[in-house]
Amino acid sequence: MSSQKRPWRNSLVWRVTGNSVLLSLGIIWLVGSALFSQISTGIFEEKLSNSISDSQSSLRSIQVQLAVAQFQNDAGIRKIVDQMISVASISGNTAGREVALLHFPVVRPVKNNYERTSNLLSTKSIPEAFRTKVRTASGLQWSRTKIVFLGGEKVNGIAVGGTVEIPNSGTYELYFLYGLTSQENTLTLIRNALWFTGLALIFLIGLVTWLVIRQVVIPVREAAEIAEQLSAGDLGRRMEVHGENEIARLGISFNEMALSMQQQISRLENLSRLQQRFVSDVSHELRTPLTTIRMASEVIYASRSTFSTKVARSAELLIAQIDRFERLLADLLEVSRFDAEAAVMVIEPVDIVQLLRRTVDYLHPSRERIINIISDEDSILVDADTRRIERIFRNLITNAIDHCEERPVDITIVESDDAVAVGVRDYGVGFQEKDSHRLFDRFWRADPARARVRGGTGLGLSIALEDAKLHHGTLEAWGRLRRGAHFVLTIPKVAGIEMATHPISVVPESELSTIVNPEDSEEL
Amino acid sequence: MTLIMVVDDDQDLAEMLGIVLNGAGFEVDLVSRGDEVMDLFRAQTPDLVLLDVMLPGMTGIEVCREIRAESMVPIVMLTAKGDTHDVVLGLEAGADDYMVKPFNPSELVARIKTRLRRQISESAGGLKIGDIAIDQLAHSIMREGKVIPLTRLEFDLLVALAKEPGRVFTREALLNEVWGYRHATDTRLVNVHVQRLRSKVEQDPENPELIVTVRGVGYKAGVPGTKEQ
Repeated sequence: MSSQKRPWRNSLVWRVTGNSVLLSLGIIWLVGSALFSQISTGIFEEKLSNSISDSQSSLRSIQVQLAVAQFQNDAGIRKIVDQMISVASISGNTAGREVALLHFPVVRPVKNNYERTSNLLSTKSIPEAFRTKVRTASGLQWSRTKIVFLGGEKVNGIAVGGTVEIPNSGTYELYFLYGLTSQENTLTLIRNALWFTGLALIFLIGLVTWLVIRQVVIPVREAAEIAEQLSAGDLGRRMEVHGENEIARLGISFNEMALSMQQQISRLENLSRLQQRFVSDVSHELRTPLTTIRMASEVIYASRSTFSTKVARSAELLIAQIDRFERLLADLLEVSRFDAEAAVMVIEPVDIVQLLRRTVDYLHPSRERIINIISDEDSILVDADTRRIERIFRNLITNAIDHCEERPVDITIVESDDAVAVGVRDYGVGFQEKDSHRLFDRFWRADPARARVRGGTGLGLSIALEDAKLHHGTLEAWGRLRRGAHFVLTIPKVAGIEMATHPISVVPESELSTIVNPEDSEEL
Repeated sequence: MTLIMVVDDDQDLAEMLGIVLNGAGFEVDLVSRGDEVMDLFRAQTPDLVLLDVMLPGMTGIEVCREIRAESMVPIVMLTAKGDTHDVVLGLEAGADDYMVKPFNPSELVARIKTRLRRQISESAGGLKIGDIAIDQLAHSIMREGKVIPLTRLEFDLLVALAKEPGRVFTREALLNEVWGYRHATDTRLVNVHVQRLRSKVEQDPENPELIVTVRGVGYKAGVPGTKEQ
């Protein structure tokens, strides 16, 4: 089945599952990134406020110590500064705090330079722009930075800076640097956890959708399969119904539909069977007495020379009307067989050209000269029901002879790859263009006032059309008053195959050129 | 006198058939029930049986089968239904020919005469088809000294084909020659009888060698050993 070849396109289960996985992927991505950015902002803010308050208290205590130290000598001050730096770098309440003490930039070297950094901290850790900001602004300033060590190590961090006055030396900038390593580790952990949860969620959502949709789709698929079997003719198939949900209701209504369809069809079949039976019975009941009448009339007719003129003429009329009655009965039975769809086809290879010649010979042995058979081929083999094709020929030829007014009748046979067409063209009374479809109606006569054509039952063309349809063929008619008629039978060469071509056009070639002639159309 | 047994449950039709057949110079026995046929048949040994399909007691198809089981007498079925099904059933049961009611009495007489006709051909005797010898005088065929029983119609069909080996007979030509039809397109008659004849004379009826089908045209006598088509 094709659904196995392209599951993504043809299976509802896979499509719905795929769509829900894609949608939840989007949603989880959005929620996850929002969550992550909120968490990381929170962690950073916390660290920042801690760092600032920590720096504030350290700076204050250092300023106090230096204020006290202004009466000491240089060595004393240096000692205090050293102590101050080492204490600041280890006693912070946050691990990993580094300290840098930098002199304001000056033109000439300062006498007592106390510039210091803790733990091999490189002064590159403090960007120049930030230093300018610290120098110009009052109070504590902060900035994100990259903490650089002399060994080359780099860590993301926060720098908080303020100014201090050192006696006999000038104004210094004091920086506290806080590494963000542990916060980053936490964030990495959180991010990984988010990724894992998201992916697991997506997988679970896909799985759940797949399971749920399967529950809905399986009964639907079952319904589709059963519908296919129903339409293939297995009318007894039903869906299994479990529970009372919507799917069960689908099953119940589906089964009800199938049941009513089955009943309707079997009712129609029954009707058709009754009709066939009736046709068959009528046929039998009428034919047996008709046979007796027929034989009796033949016996009477055979000895008509011994009767008076009146009785002899009556015998002639009797036998002619019995003939007509027989034909009418046969045609009526055939029509009712078509109506009951009880017509049986006996398909065998038939030589259409030979069959046509035989039919013409049989129907009008003495009038052969007015019927011309035009065929390039001596033999065209077709799969068809000989009896029916012969009957179509007989009906068309009889019809043409009846209406040709002694002018010639042309019968053309043309074959194509898949079809063969037989056109019967007469140049007699013809019929009005608007009647070209009604011609095939039962008992239809072009002009009711016109005398009945001898021998016709009024059913011939209608039966011929049904015979053509049984062959999957067509029977078309073209006609103009006083310019004659053209009937074209087209049947496929191989039984049951749809024809792509129509070798003969129903509008005769001789008429194609006159269609544009306005004088001719006025006549109509 | 030639005796014809008419089996029909419709009294009037049977009587009318009697009048017509008498007029044509035949003697007639009338039977109205299917289950009465066999006793009378054995007692009278008619030359031909006219058999209606729908009969009380026993259907015409069954009667036909029973007669065929013990005799090669020509059987012509009379049917009120032109439906393929009935006709084929009758032919398969062993009927040689059939007529659909209402039929033309002169046509009926012509067909009966064809079925009764003894073909006296000038070249009577030595016809052969494959390994089968046809004795036209004795109206029998033999393969390797053993007689193969055939109905008269089957014999006529085989002779018609054997007389002109190589000629392809259309079904219509065979209907004309063997059945005496003047005009007919019911080729089922030919098809069914060719099948039955094959089942009697062919070594392998599935792959006929004596009576060969020429697709779309008809049949011809074949030469065994030379595979055609």
